[in-house]
Amino acid sequence: MNYEHCIRCTICVENCPVFRVNPDFPGPKQAGPDAQRFRSEKEKAQDEWVFLCSQCKRCEMACPCGVEPAQIILREQQRYGKEHPQTATHLLFANNYYLSALGSLTAPLANKFASTETGKNILRKIGISTYIPFPKFSFRTMRQGKKNLNKGTKKVAFFYGCFINFYRPDIGRKIVRLLAAMNVDVVLPPQWCCGLPALGNGNLALAKYFAQKNASSLSDYIDAGYDIVYACTSCGLCILHDYPGIMEIPQGKKIAESSYNLHEYIIKLINEGYAKPEFGKVRRKIAYHIPCHLRALKIGYPAQKLMATIPGLECEIFDDTCCGLSGSYGFKENNEFTAIQIGNRAVSLIKKTGAKNIVADCGSCRMQLEGLSGITALDPAEILCESLNITNQK
Amino acid sequence: MSVTEYDVVIIGAGAAGLTTGALLAERGFNVALVTTGEPTACLSTGCIDVCSCDENPLTGIKNLPPEHPFHLVDEKTIRQSLNYFQTVMMDMGMPYAGSIEKNRSVVSALGTFKTSCLVPSTMEAAPQNNTDSIHIVTFKGIKDFYPGYIVSRRKNTNFSVFDAGVYSIMSIASRFEDKNFFERFIIWMDKLRIDEDKIALPAVAGLESASEIVNSIAVLMGKPVFEIPTIPPSMPGRRLFNALKKYFRKKGGAIYWAWPVVGTEKTGKLIEAVTTHSEGRPNSINARAFILGTGSFVGGGLTATRQDITENVFNLPVHISGPRETWFDNDYFSLNHGIGRAGIIVDSSMRPADSPWNNIFLCGGILAETEILKNGCGHGLALATAHAAAQSCAEYLSHEL
Ligand SMILES: Cc1cc2nc3c(=O)[nH]c(=O)nc-3n(C[C@H](O)[C@H](O)[C@H](O)COP(=O)(O)OP(=O)(O)OC[C@H]3O[C@@H](n4cnc5c(N)ncnc54)[C@H](O)[C@@H]3O)c2cc1C
Ligand code: SF4
Ligand code: SF4
Ligand code: SF4
Repeated sequence: MNYEHCIRCTICVENCPVFRVNPDFPGPKQAGPDAQRFRSEKEKAQDEWVFLCSQCKRCEMACPCGVEPAQIILREQQRYGKEHPQTATHLLFANNYYLSALGSLTAPLANKFASTETGKNILRKIGISTYIPFPKFSFRTMRQGKKNLNKGTKKVAFFYGCFINFYRPDIGRKIVRLLAAMNVDVVLPPQWCCGLPALGNGNLALAKYFAQKNASSLSDYIDAGYDIVYACTSCGLCILHDYPGIMEIPQGKKIAESSYNLHEYIIKLINEGYAKPEFGKVRRKIAYHIPCHLRALKIGYPAQKLMATIPGLECEIFDDTCCGLSGSYGFKENNEFTAIQIGNRAVSLIKKTGAKNIVADCGSCRMQLEGLSGITALDPAEILCESLNITNQK
Repeated sequence: MSVTEYDVVIIGAGAAGLTTGALLAERGFNVALVTTGEPTACLSTGCIDVCSCDENPLTGIKNLPPEHPFHLVDEKTIRQSLNYFQTVMMDMGMPYAGSIEKNRSVVSALGTFKTSCLVPSTMEAAPQNNTDSIHIVTFKGIKDFYPGYIVSRRKNTNFSVFDAGVYSIMSIASRFEDKNFFERFIIWMDKLRIDEDKIALPAVAGLESASEIVNSIAVLMGKPVFEIPTIPPSMPGRRLFNALKKYFRKKGGAIYWAWPVVGTEKTGKLIEAVTTHSEGRPNSINARAFILGTGSFVGGGLTATRQDITENVFNLPVHISGPRETWFDNDYFSLNHGIGRAGIIVDSSMRPADSPWNNIFLCGGILAETEILKNGCGHGLALATAHAAAQSCAEYLSHEL
């Protein structure tokens, strides 16, 4: 976070996907350490363009000096958000949880609205981009799903996140079965949006509100001997990085210490000799898009490690490309061009491999890449389930 | 991940670390690489300097002072390491030109000649003297390249400016990967009716496929075309890094980004694991051997304070010739700053001298007595010592089994 450690080498700039395609964004070096020298808590936040940063954190992963440009920008986004009235789009996406909750209660209607021309026009009017289909709301969300599937000694509280909950609960159910197949006791703790969309829209207060609700719930489970497992890499990063960090959640550190990425957790179970899954053949060629936030979690690429043990599976890694969507970022109309340009680069590299599927841990990456390429995108857990012959049918 | 076990962990993603990693992975070892961030290669011209003190780099190396780490590597290994590099880069679609027996020149962004040994094929056509006339094509609004410097130094040199619609080196380079952009550029260039001998571009001709792009321009214009490396951000340096990284991965190596090593676990004469901070639990990676390729001051391997210089991972003893007063020359632009000799002294097996560790091997900029700036031996030394370190490490691992 110390901007004075910056040696102005511009390595971060070269890694910024937004800077590459959008000349209006000055890039991580200028928006981060450089501009920080001129910012003062006594003056009103000026730089509206900080919102052009998608918070992919690629700059931080590349900086050789440990400067954290994304973090500096994130703080400025919060300061700007607090000092200026929020636009309708910002508010809407910050509250994405309520939007989604509403959407999934009225799924058929909401889907119809988002796919009609009038619906699209209304969405565009309030600044929501419609170049890829707005995610379809799902009728039966995770929260109404079943609890305890198996009795075992290891206990996991699964933080499934908004995307799985509202749009793809089928993947959530598969993950529960996957963990159960490892002889783990899985529960679905009471949970809300992780808070990341609110943070990305400069609404720290709302982000904290969600985070605190989650923290109280998760903390109780940890006290009762549960490990927390998350699947979406962006929720994971928010919980591990932002709860104890910018959101200053009192239980943040404790939660970070007991939270695991799904695949990291499975590897832990295997290494401890607790689980011995026998992966069966999956004859397929996949392009594994590493979500930026998986990289930022600094845990390596655990799903890739597991997939490497699956016979027949050919897997090529793509970690130099951002999908461009970054959750709600790319759905905002003024980021649409940026998001498409970034995404198209990822897609053109993936298409060169001739892969049959794209695989990514993050729901929004999958939505973007599938939307732009027409290639079906899967969660790595779906590949593991296929290999272990786990289906959603009993 | 607490219980991850590898044969070798490489620390540092520079030319040295990535090369050692690829060599060990090729021999069948299970290799992981951890790094704080991207290496100095990204700041470099992408040219492989081996030894710029003599027309023939091999002769230059022979004449280096006896304490120079190049003398730890025999001539056969030096030749082998550069051949290997050229094969790797060819495989990655980024061929390099040049020979270990003769240095060559590239034109710098200041219009001077830079001496190097192996150069990206995109710079192969650079004039070797002042006779060729040159037409520079530059880009509107570009901040890191001023043709005026070159025009003021060279006779028979003119320039034209193309409006790419974007103004940073990175953005222009990615535009070049786009067919429509490329066509627009060629049509514009055709209209210039260039009659100079050669065409020069700042090094922005693409990211992944630069060598094809420069070739196509040369074929379409019917003239030799070459790139001029810019000050950082440097595309040829980034291409070099990307290619080495891709090759390491292709050989089965795993990379952990943003993992600055902050601690170690040791028993007796062995390092057991390196640890890093992360938000939740501390990460630790176990391995049987470790390669230290953390570079010098800019790379992050060494830190200087008012009193002394420290090595940041294993706290190895740093060799500094003399007290602080001798670190610097009075002349800022001098090539003789004593601090250029700081680093770690190793024995012929590339293990740190004067330290108890049996399973650490060093290579690249972290070594003592390199004087990289003075001797013009950056990437070349990194590649050669990478081969030496990989060799020793492989022997150690095979015996240990
Ligand atoms: C501005 C500049 C321009 C140059 N131009 C040229 C040129 O044109 N041609 C040439 O031949 N040479 C050039 N050099 C020299 C050349 O880059 C280096 O000598 C050589 O490549 C050293 O490589 P390396 O692998 O040893 O280390 P570096 O490239 O320094 O890389 C060190 C790596 O270690 C990582 N690291 C550091 N500390 C830690 C830690 N605690 N934990 C984990 N990881 C860590 C860093 O993040 C980095 O990835 C240049 C150097 C500089 C600084
Ligand atoms: S923030 Fe880091 S990567 Fe960016 S210019 Fe500064 S030192 Fe370089
Ligand atoms: S977080 Fe991503 S978009 Fe924002 S400045 Fe860093 S690299 Fe650019
Ligand atoms: S949506 Fe995925 S690829 Fe895009 S910025 Fe977020 S994590 Fe990165």
